[in-house]
Amino acid sequence: MTETYAGATRGAPTRPGAGRPRRQGRAGYLFLAPSLLFFTVFLILPSLFAIFLSLSQWGGYDLTQITFIGVRNYGDILNFDSTFLSPILVNTLLFAALSVIPAVAGSLLVAQCIERLRFQGFWRFLYFLPVVATVVAIGNVWKMMYQPSGLINGILNMLHINSIGFLSDPTAALPSVAVVQAWASIGSAVLILTAGIKAIDRTVYEAAEIDGANSWNTFWGITLPLLRPSLLFVFITQCIAGMQSFALIIVMTKDGGPANATNVAAFEMYQQAFRFGAWGTASAMAMVLFVIIFVATLIQLWIGRRAGEDD
Amino acid sequence: MRPALFGRSRTARLTLVASTVALALSACGGGGGSASDNGKVTLTFLSHYGDEPLKSGISKLIDEWNAAHPDIQVKQQAVSFDDLLTTLNVRQTGGQGADILSSYALWGGQLAANGVLDQPPADVAKDIAENYSPAAAAAVTSGTGQVFGYPTEFNTYVLFYNKKLLADAGYDTPPSDWAQLKEIAEKTTKKDSSGNYQVEGLSLIQGGDNQTAHPFFSLLNSAGGTFLGAGGDSALDDTAKSVMQLEADLAKSGATTTSISPTKTFPSNGVAMAIQASWWIGSLKESMKDGYANVGTAPVPGPNAGEKGSLAYAFFTGVNAKSKHRQQAWEFLTWLNSNKNKEGVTGMGDFLATNGLIPPRKADAAILGAKLQATDPNLKPIYEAAGYAMAESNAANGYKAKTSLHNALNRILVNQAPVDQTFNDLIAEISRK
Repeated sequence: MTETYAGATRGAPTRPGAGRPRRQGRAGYLFLAPSLLFFTVFLILPSLFAIFLSLSQWGGYDLTQITFIGVRNYGDILNFDSTFLSPILVNTLLFAALSVIPAVAGSLLVAQCIERLRFQGFWRFLYFLPVVATVVAIGNVWKMMYQPSGLINGILNMLHINSIGFLSDPTAALPSVAVVQAWASIGSAVLILTAGIKAIDRTVYEAAEIDGANSWNTFWGITLPLLRPSLLFVFITQCIAGMQSFALIIVMTKDGGPANATNVAAFEMYQQAFRFGAWGTASAMAMVLFVIIFVATLIQLWIGRRAGEDD
Repeated sequence: MRPALFGRSRTARLTLVASTVALALSACGGGGGSASDNGKVTLTFLSHYGDEPLKSGISKLIDEWNAAHPDIQVKQQAVSFDDLLTTLNVRQTGGQGADILSSYALWGGQLAANGVLDQPPADVAKDIAENYSPAAAAAVTSGTGQVFGYPTEFNTYVLFYNKKLLADAGYDTPPSDWAQLKEIAEKTTKKDSSGNYQVEGLSLIQGGDNQTAHPFFSLLNSAGGTFLGAGGDSALDDTAKSVMQLEADLAKSGATTTSISPTKTFPSNGVAMAIQASWWIGSLKESMKDGYANVGTAPVPGPNAGEKGSLAYAFFTGVNAKSKHRQQAWEFLTWLNSNKNKEGVTGMGDFLATNGLIPPRKADAAILGAKLQATDPNLKPIYEAAGYAMAESNAANGYKAKTSLHNALNRILVNQAPVDQTFNDLIAEISRK
């Protein structure tokens, strides 16, 4: 029995087709190699370099001048005297919340409305347009509308309301830019939610109608629960984009002003690295932001799973 | 069979890892941007002269050099000013830095500290120290005495005012001290019933980076104060606090606001006075046409009559310390900045003056300045300011400290934050270099 077993084991490689799994494995890795190489060069190596830089002092320009300083950069930016915790991180979270909540609510409303309209392709195209437009164009158009003599203040003045310094008043600047971010990101969310709505089995709605449910009941009882996976996806991706966003802020306020009111973590990282030559500080900020986004995403997934959409 | 296969696999894996690392590192190494072919050298020149008329002006000079020096050819690489520092940073780190660099002097300390700038030959450093305007030379010299390169675009700050708006408010002459500056600013300010500005009394911001800093520096200089010490430490004292208080008072009374862009509004008679750089003259002439006759310039007044102040900032052209052809690069820069035309003016001086800028070389300014001031009296206070202006700090932390100042001033001008606390916070922030 032992011999048979041993013989069978020894003989295994000679059996026709027995080497196939290993060859297939090698072929699989070969096919994967280009994308693995891409990820290694453009994701893994830069990430490892950023972790190393976050523990170093480096002014840019010359790789031989990197000095290891331990966790000092983290100590500097997580200090209560540092502007990174407040207002910058606070602004980042506020900007994400102020842009994501209206974007998700708005896109849900728009997707639901489009579902009931004719020419659905046209409406989806219309709402998707801002996604295709460049941030510079969007930012500049809204900037003009927000000017003291711009369209929005013109309308307010016609209604005998005093002008608002949308971009010059520190209390109004962040919400004003967040509204634009929300408006610009509705299009992609509408596409995903429309696909989610279309995937819901129509017979469920028919059954609800027979049972006498009105539009409101079907929305709360059927659409919303069955749309939860799509909503969770939209919420998570919009949150990540909101916390990483800074292009629109640069276009609309140029320097994260007034008085740091629109300065967010991603902009501060850019500023520290490319303007002030503090790459170590910028990398430490990037690591802190990564942890925040990671934890926020885990919390959202956990809440989503508890709500049962995974089933 | 099996060991051989395993060996090949390990070799393949090692090759894969090695090539990946090599590929990644190749982006961060390498030499400079110059090329050498059969004794002929091609130098690259990175600048922000990408738009007309600067682009064709500098190209004309480079073409002249290239025609006269077939063995040392210069090739332009132009980017917008907003992208200049980022481009410098990325290309240098990637081993693709240009041989000749044009840079804002504020960044000079940062570039020098990171080994980007080559030390100029002794004769070049001597020429700059002796033959350039003191403010221009100081703007391109570090606290330790390192000269970054030849000063180029040189600007001083003066008070621009709208003669008609001041006359309508009952003033025939510009303010001579802070009390009068405040009084005229408040009297010329006008708002409509909706609270929109029709006329802003005094603009304390300028276009570009850190908008509030340069007008503040001009007022600070008028009071005898300075911003940073040679090593980048805060030099702010009670004079700085008094300037902050002046700005806070003007903001509180509504005579100044950061919500109005003077560049757009001054030409349409929407701003009575503005502390602005000398390059503004050309811009106003272009946008105001006949209305330019209403524009006057005067020194930025100090706390007391007779006192005045100004900020001087400059750009410079220097040589990359990593360039393989540093000697040829300095040769070109020396020619560009000292080769004189028939009038006895250098090519660079002529190029700068043609574009409405002050030639930083004293001899150029003497020849061209007199001629230009005869055609436009508004240039007189600008040229005079070169003699007393405070050079902008170029310490390694200069840009960061200036941004901190801008944020502090914004808190005062926009949020009406208390001056004492903002002042102390600013000093603490600058000290955390």
